[in-house]
Amino acid sequence: MSFAIETEGLIKIFRSRWSGKEVRAVDRISLRVEPGATFGLLGPNGAGKTTFVKMLLSCAHPTAGRAMVFGRDSRQAEARRPIGYLPENHRFPTYMTGRSMLDFYGALSGMDSAARRKRIPELLATVGLAEWGDVRLGKYSKGMLQRVGLAQALMHAPALLILDEPSDGVDPIGRRQIRDILHALEQQGVTIFLNSHLLAEVELFCHDVAIIHRGRVALEGKVKDLTAGSGYRVEAEHVPERLEHDLRARAMAVAQRNGNVEFLFGSRDEANLAVDLLRAQHCEIESVARTSSTLEDVFVKAINEQ
Amino acid sequence: MNSKTLGVTLALVRDTFREAFARKIVWGFFGCSTALILFFVFIMRIDVVQGAIATVSLFGNTTRSLDVQRLVRQAHGAIAAFLFTAGMFLAVFASAGLIPSVFEPGRIELLLSKPVERYHILLGRYAGNVLLIAANIFYLVFAVWLIFGIKTGVWTAGFLWSSALTVYMFAVLLTVVVLVGVLWESAAVTTMVTFGIMIVSPILAQQATLERLLTSETSRNIVRGAYYALPKVFDLGRIARSLVLGDRIDNWMPVWSSGLFGVVVLGAGIYVFARKNY
Repeated sequence: MSFAIETEGLIKIFRSRWSGKEVRAVDRISLRVEPGATFGLLGPNGAGKTTFVKMLLSCAHPTAGRAMVFGRDSRQAEARRPIGYLPENHRFPTYMTGRSMLDFYGALSGMDSAARRKRIPELLATVGLAEWGDVRLGKYSKGMLQRVGLAQALMHAPALLILDEPSDGVDPIGRRQIRDILHALEQQGVTIFLNSHLLAEVELFCHDVAIIHRGRVALEGKVKDLTAGSGYRVEAEHVPERLEHDLRARAMAVAQRNGNVEFLFGSRDEANLAVDLLRAQHCEIESVARTSSTLEDVFVKAINEQ
Repeated sequence: MNSKTLGVTLALVRDTFREAFARKIVWGFFGCSTALILFFVFIMRIDVVQGAIATVSLFGNTTRSLDVQRLVRQAHGAIAAFLFTAGMFLAVFASAGLIPSVFEPGRIELLLSKPVERYHILLGRYAGNVLLIAANIFYLVFAVWLIFGIKTGVWTAGFLWSSALTVYMFAVLLTVVVLVGVLWESAAVTTMVTFGIMIVSPILAQQATLERLLTSETSRNIVRGAYYALPKVFDLGRIARSLVLGDRIDNWMPVWSSGLFGVVVLGAGIYVFARKNY
């Protein structure tokens, strides 16, 4: 099966041209997003989220590793055909109207003019800007720009939607409208990859989540498992690769911390079984604890502990 | 070129035109051309006597009698010279912002996220820019050629060819705008570097004289190298003038060597753009 997004050991190092100083923005990230998933990428500012997204879109070139989109190397132009993207801090040309902007980006996405003519009024109506299609973007408010930006990302009916802070600057009604659009797309089987620092938004919408910190995946798993009322966290060191792989299949979430591996299990039995297996392999158990948390708790803990 | 590629190219060209018209300077360029055309249509009166001698009237004042062929060629030559100097500076100035604007954060990411190769984005923008300036130059030159032809009955193709050479020279200089724009993403730096090449061109065109004045062989090699490597704006201006006046052109080296410069610089621009992180 080809994943909507699949990265293997993705690394991005930025080197200063003059001082030669290196910044490791993304450090060996391996992620898999299944088709039809709603995936949230979380992390504090400067964690490497945007760099990671830029490598998926080939805006930035990986230093090592690879990124695949529906089985195609992200560096190929064709890999970007099924992607609709709304960047953070976008700067749409203000000389364009909403209609001409959608027409332009639709054409770049490979749509013919007849398809664009049909699609533009539909999308403007969907994002609540039907009356604003012929107004220059320079006259749009931040929230309106965000909505027309979403329409732009949806122009060619993408199979994968990558949204970078989609509700940034949008009022509560606009946010609800965006969420409703995204829910409708989810029903249609569109994969939605949400890059956001708004934990509540991710918790409300995404089923899967990964938390990135200092360029690494600090934690990943299903939101409902991570925030489950009860669970058992088992942290161990010197875990052999094969055992880690086996336990990963049983765990709700797995995180790497200071060379240790932390597994989150849904039941006491599974946690006990994991402890038995780990001890049988002479692994050191660092801690075993019961958990109860919100996504915010999970986020803060993941960041603080890494 | 398949229909998708063509559709993308047209979209990029159309976007360049749209942005250029949103910037008032292109309207200024178009306005100047129109003003010049109106001047020739309404203000300048040419009376041709026996198909050979003309008197020219400006604001009702008749000037001396002139040979009509000479008059037309001189007027054409003056316009060609204007286009090659002030017109070229204005064209570069008008275009200098159009290339770096593509690389603005928040805009470039969106362009690169589309299923379009990077070189296609850059070449589409480049083509849009060349077509925009070509449209303006051809508009002025063709209109003036038509006005003089109708008023005097003298139809010389040299003037039209000179406009093609002007567009060619602009296309070469625009490759510098592209490369510098990709490297520094600044309209100011782009303008300065391109203007620098244009300003140094008449100096380097005197390379034979310069070589006589220089004492060291190294200096002479540097001057010679710079002359052959850089686009020869001044020399092409001379060739354009010769085309207008109907003179024979013995040396086409400035044309092809400038073109070669353009190809290399544009290739370098595409290479740098393809490797850059945004």
